[in-house]
Amino acid sequence: MKKLKGMLGYIWAFLTVIIVLATFMGNDYFSEQLASATGITISPWFSGGEIVKTLDHGTYKTYIHRPVFDALIGEKRKGFIQLNWEPYAGLPPVVQETIDYNGDNRADFLITLNTKTGDASLTAHSPTVLFIERSYGLKKGWAVRVHLQKRS
Amino acid sequence: MKKNTTEASATTRRSLFKTFLLCLPMMLLTFMMLTGGSMPTGGERLFALAATFLFFNLLFFLMVRTGKTDRFRSILFITLAVCFVFSFISNLIAVRGSMALSRATMIEGGAPFCHLVIPMTLIPAVLTKTIIFPGKILGSYSIAGMFVIWIGVSLALGRGLCSWFCFFGGLEDGFSRILKKPIIKNISKKWTYLPYAVLLVVVLMSALTLSPTYCQWLCPFKTVTEFVEITSVKVLIQTIIFVSLFIGLVVVLPILTKRRTQCGLFCPLGALQSVTNKTNVFEIRIDQDKCVQCNKCIRVCPTFSIDEESLGRGRVKASCTKCGKCVDACPQKALFYHVKGTSLSSKLDRYRLLFLYPAFLVLAIIAGRFVQDAMVKAINLITTGTMI
Repeated sequence: MKKLKGMLGYIWAFLTVIIVLATFMGNDYFSEQLASATGITISPWFSGGEIVKTLDHGTYKTYIHRPVFDALIGEKRKGFIQLNWEPYAGLPPVVQETIDYNGDNRADFLITLNTKTGDASLTAHSPTVLFIERSYGLKKGWAVRVHLQKRS
Repeated sequence: MKKNTTEASATTRRSLFKTFLLCLPMMLLTFMMLTGGSMPTGGERLFALAATFLFFNLLFFLMVRTGKTDRFRSILFITLAVCFVFSFISNLIAVRGSMALSRATMIEGGAPFCHLVIPMTLIPAVLTKTIIFPGKILGSYSIAGMFVIWIGVSLALGRGLCSWFCFFGGLEDGFSRILKKPIIKNISKKWTYLPYAVLLVVVLMSALTLSPTYCQWLCPFKTVTEFVEITSVKVLIQTIIFVSLFIGLVVVLPILTKRRTQCGLFCPLGALQSVTNKTNVFEIRIDQDKCVQCNKCIRVCPTFSIDEESLGRGRVKASCTKCGKCVDACPQKALFYHVKGTSLSSKLDRYRLLFLYPAFLVLAIIAGRFVQDAMVKAINLITTGTMI
């Protein structure tokens, strides 16, 4: 038994070199495998969540993300919705969008963005729409987050 | 008789030829990993590769020949930290123009992921299938890439990750070596439980808020890497906290105590890594027959992993980072690297070598990239006046 344990110890110790080499040499492969096997994504609190609707305005597009209320279990009372306008080159001086984020066929808010300065304003049509976070100049276009709360 | 044999094997210098033979595999492996299968073009890159290769292998050669581990490990470990900071900051300035991380960059997933975030991401990853960090799942400095490295290095070295991989640890290690003797000598044992408390709090808070609490509020290393752009009072308070922690835990206390205080008394990843030591094949053991209770190992251990109780049990604590400082310091050679399952009485040098190959390889691979990059940038700075 002692000999067997010793043998296993040596084998395990030797294997650590192989593990190290595999870890670094196969990093790209293992990373892809890990990502696809777990199906893990970036938290919507950072990424803005999945795009659920695209409005094509000809020279530019408006991307509407899903409302984010995600919690560890269930949903939070407060969340946000992200809108993106791309590309910079196709944007008019001012963009305006009426959004129905909860799909009840009633406009929830009107958002206006000055694409030169990034100034954004919000007109809420629903008590669930709270306020606008500042606009963000991304690599391809502008993004805005509108803070929301769940209906009580 | 057995005692004399082990003592001799641990202290005798190897012949040059035998040392060279033992170093050959490391030379081949480091060459393969540093080149990545292709030789670089450009004089400065070629010079950086050659200098890095020679420097790394000289250190390994000296480790094998002299029997001293920490003396040479620390040189590369500190070099890694300095080069990482230099390379990382200069890259940020080249790409973004500053060390500040804007909200826009976070929305686009542009924040590089580091291993210290891992403990906070585990519960949300399991329950929500998302990673609570504004980074990228795949690509360079990616989340999946860092997870793979963390799993691999933890399997190979356990908490040895903290002394053979962590590109932040070398900063404290460097500062802890400035004074010859510590000014603060007595640190209550109670403080060694703090990392576990920090781990518990940041894991729970991160899960509840779905944000990386430690990164936002506490991580001292943001001071020398990147930090969130100060756009609100909240971010200003966060900045004051992490800069203070950096000054206190990474600079001042390591100088005064000659210990790695952030690693030993605060780091949540370190606390998590202690668990991996339990399943790792390498460990540090204490030969109670040789030990004369001089307590030198207790005094030099940078992560507070040895106490009188450890000497009585013949084992160091789970928080041991396998840096080898105690092994180098023990005048009786009572402390030694050991491969679990094997006998305790002989072949100590073989056990040490079996640990050194994977451990040094990890350090060489991770340091290789940053040392070469820093060297190329330094050459460019000297010759052209610009780093890029």
